Amino acid sequence: MKRLLALLLAAVMVLGLMAGCGQTPSGGETKPAESTPSNLEGKTDEEILDASQDILNGRELATTYQTYFSTSYASLNYFSTSYATVREIVSNCVDGLVEPDKYGIYAASLADSWDHNEDYTVWTFHIREGLKWIDHTGAETEYALTAQDFVDGIRYIGDPLNGAYSMRVVRNLISGLYDYYWGLDDIDCEIDTETNREDLVARFDEIVGVKALDEYTVEYRLDSSAPYFLSLIESSMLLLPIEYEYALALGDDFGVDNEHMLYCGAYYISEFNRDKNITLTKNPHYWDAEKVYLETVEYQMIADGTTSVEMFKRGELDYTSVESEEYLTLADSEWGSYLIPNEFSLSTNYLWLDFVGGNGEFRTFVQNENFRKALQTAVNRIVWAQLREPVDPARIVRNTINAEGAIFNSQGVDYTDLEPLAAIRNTDYSADPNAARAFMEAAIAELCDENGKIIGVEAGTVDYLPVISTEIDGALPVTLIYVGTDDESEIIMAQLFETMVEAAIGADYIDVVCAFDTSGSFYSTVGGSNDGPFNYDIYFDSLSTGYADPSGILTRIGTEEVENVGAYIVPEYDALIEKALNAETFDERLQYFAEAEAFLLEGAYMIPVMSSLRGYHMTYEVPYTAPYMLYGNVRYKGMQVLTEPLTLEEYQIQAAAWEIARAAALAAQE
Amino acid sequence: MKKYIAQRALRSLITVCLVFVAVFMLLRFMPLEGYFSDEMIKEADEATRMTYLRNLGLLDHPLKQLWRFVKNLFQGDLGRSLTVYPKVPISTLLAEKIPVTAAFGFVSMLLGIVFGLSLGLVMVRTKDRLGDHLGNGFILVIRAVPSILYLFVIQVYVSAAFDLPMLFYEDRPGSWILPTISLSLGSVAWYALWLRRFMVDELNQDYVKFAQVKGLSKSAVNRRHIFRNAIIPLVIYLPSDLLLIISGSLVIETLYSIPGTGGLLTTAIKNQDNNLVQVLVLMYAVASVVGVFLGDLLVAFVDPRIKLTQKEE
Repeated sequence: MKRLLALLLAAVMVLGLMAGCGQTPSGGETKPAESTPSNLEGKTDEEILDASQDILNGRELATTYQTYFSTSYASLNYFSTSYATVREIVSNCVDGLVEPDKYGIYAASLADSWDHNEDYTVWTFHIREGLKWIDHTGAETEYALTAQDFVDGIRYIGDPLNGAYSMRVVRNLISGLYDYYWGLDDIDCEIDTETNREDLVARFDEIVGVKALDEYTVEYRLDSSAPYFLSLIESSMLLLPIEYEYALALGDDFGVDNEHMLYCGAYYISEFNRDKNITLTKNPHYWDAEKVYLETVEYQMIADGTTSVEMFKRGELDYTSVESEEYLTLADSEWGSYLIPNEFSLSTNYLWLDFVGGNGEFRTFVQNENFRKALQTAVNRIVWAQLREPVDPARIVRNTINAEGAIFNSQGVDYTDLEPLAAIRNTDYSADPNAARAFMEAAIAELCDENGKIIGVEAGTVDYLPVISTEIDGALPVTLIYVGTDDESEIIMAQLFETMVEAAIGADYIDVVCAFDTSGSFYSTVGGSNDGPFNYDIYFDSLSTGYADPSGILTRIGTEEVENVGAYIVPEYDALIEKALNAETFDERLQYFAEAEAFLLEGAYMIPVMSSLRGYHMTYEVPYTAPYMLYGNVRYKGMQVLTEPLTLEEYQIQAAAWEIARAAALAAQE
Repeated sequence: MKKYIAQRALRSLITVCLVFVAVFMLLRFMPLEGYFSDEMIKEADEATRMTYLRNLGLLDHPLKQLWRFVKNLFQGDLGRSLTVYPKVPISTLLAEKIPVTAAFGFVSMLLGIVFGLSLGLVMVRTKDRLGDHLGNGFILVIRAVPSILYLFVIQVYVSAAFDLPMLFYEDRPGSWILPTISLSLGSVAWYALWLRRFMVDELNQDYVKFAQVKGLSKSAVNRRHIFRNAIIPLVIYLPSDLLLIISGSLVIETLYSIPGTGGLLTTAIKNQDNNLVQVLVLMYAVASVVGVFLGDLLVAFVDPRIKLTQKEE
């Protein structure tokens, strides 16, 4: 109830802002602002580093970290889970080959060294010797951790019967894995009746490009150049090791709870109640134990955000997220000085347009670039972002599909700073308040007769059931059906979209109809894959940059690709993607990807609007003490936790000090 | 009596079988997209999704699936969850969840009966006076105000006032208090409301006037005559209530983080977790049928005027 009231308040504020400020957002700046906190103005690097140290001097550190999760832990099988929360737990319990240090520079983990060939298609990792898997009591098992465990990880996910999740990237990258996987699948579904399954399984080492060269050396052979491979190791669960003999013996029971898995990370799961609480305990045999400061991490399940905030205030939690709506009520309280804005999200929210929907009016118009640009310029991103970030909405505005600060070429240039993408990144689409209507008029001139009748479109019924059914008359205004979930914050976002678009383009030209899916299975009902259903004209969705290469997203949204939900046809884009994938150097590859992404955005085939970043948090954690996981999950190794909450001011000083130290670390790496 | 029990048992068995088969077949008419998580719909291609379904056995003929389920059931294997808790044995899930839900359910049911009937009696004894008005006010609030509102107030403010935990912890007795009270509020109001109503109805009966004329005290009339008659319509629901305590409460279990069965069936249906739905439906159907059956037996026991079989001429 409180949240709803806060949302309504926010909506009223935003509508007020729109009415008061006309079409131009305050400042007119769409690029995320990078401002210096007032408490750091004029200070030298040395003073900032000293101030950072002063904050920590004499402060007691906790040995237990109390946090929470909001949905139950279905399973701990890290190869087959789609749950982000499971990934977070597991990534603290099963180490990968490498891991970022606290500055985000890749450092040794289970591999103490690694190398690659010149074109980044062969990666070799040298595994630490003498490590053993441990069980849920923290006791060492008889299983040694060797290179074979990494080979077996790929063997495990390569078998369709094991149901590995999100296979596409790894399956298409590691040589032979694609053929092996689909070869087994063909046998399983009796398309291939001649090959014996056991025979094919026995040929894994011969077919698939991952090998244990000796007990402690594993080699990955890739089908294409992958300078980003280390970031993939950071982000993907599929490249983690497994003790195969143990997993095979357990069969379907592998990972169903903490007693049915083995550990080789900084922590093991000593207590596991999937719907209640989980306790991580420090691994006493960990190879890097002296850098693990927290003895236990205690999770408890709290489904409701208000409860977690209340428990944080009572000292029963060391961390709580604070939704933007709650920020409004907390900001003026005694807790206002502890509210720390969440900093970054690799995920981008965008508007997805349906090119093959059942609404003839929209379907006709959406093929027209001017109409798409009318929509692109009609959305005032700062006003919209204010629903999520009431204080500094500009910082979450994003015009590109891939996130800034996530992918860099060999010269250290940010991918989104490569032209022509850089121009799009820095565009203020709301700069000209008349642009949307002008684009719409150009579209109307091409698609309507002099009476406002849309050429080739008859009156009729648009059947987007079970979401909505509505009548169209085949004439202006163009009916646009915006479909969202029935989540209250999304309803307000939809209503604001309607107001903005009708105001910018004109209600005489466009009629936005908002409809909300109440099924709880949005993608099943509305969209989500390129084979339908297509029960929408526009919906609000997100894509996330998964690792340090644009291919993670861009290869999924081509003409025939699985996430081209709008079913647009873009041969020019496909050709650029093909060029990128076949580029000789990584920099060339990024350049082609940048051109491809820019093509899609210039044509407004999809319309990014903001990052998925939202909300604030309050915490006892000293920031930037844990590994800086840009693509992966939160790590507790290295994390330092205070016995009292951190203020925003303290946080800003720590962040500034970290930036300085990071710059030095990156320079030293060079 | 034995014949009646045998007939009812047979009818109950048929009912359970029909319910089970109907639900089983209806689940097979659900769209295939429902088996996929949002992530899978977005990221996996058609072939990968089909592989996923085949591995779960969902592409087999429905009758083959039915036969497999029934065969495993008779071998004591309830199967594994498909989508809600992938690959986790359902027997493990139920063993984790039912005891905690049943414990809360049982205690809150007892509280509901004891405090509900007591409140009902007080309201009758103070009819149209302060006690009755306060009782009615309580019932009105509980039944008319959305439960999430007063449950939230109890969780946040009452816990702060009495220094009680906001969440449930198995090893902290104090943490059981608020969820148990919250869970019993509805049944306290229900029992109080209906007991008051039935007793007020009985007050105007001739036998009450007769008892009063005989010189029995008001409290004796209330206790020995009115209460015994008024309780009969409520008794019939007791066995069902007792058996269905295993179904839990979604709102309260969510608020207090109680790892029980509340909302499990809804979640399973939403995620098209066929195996889990089938087991839960079977379990609830058996509990309902047995509950109704026991209710009939109980009402015959407490009210000698009711006969379950026709008297033979």
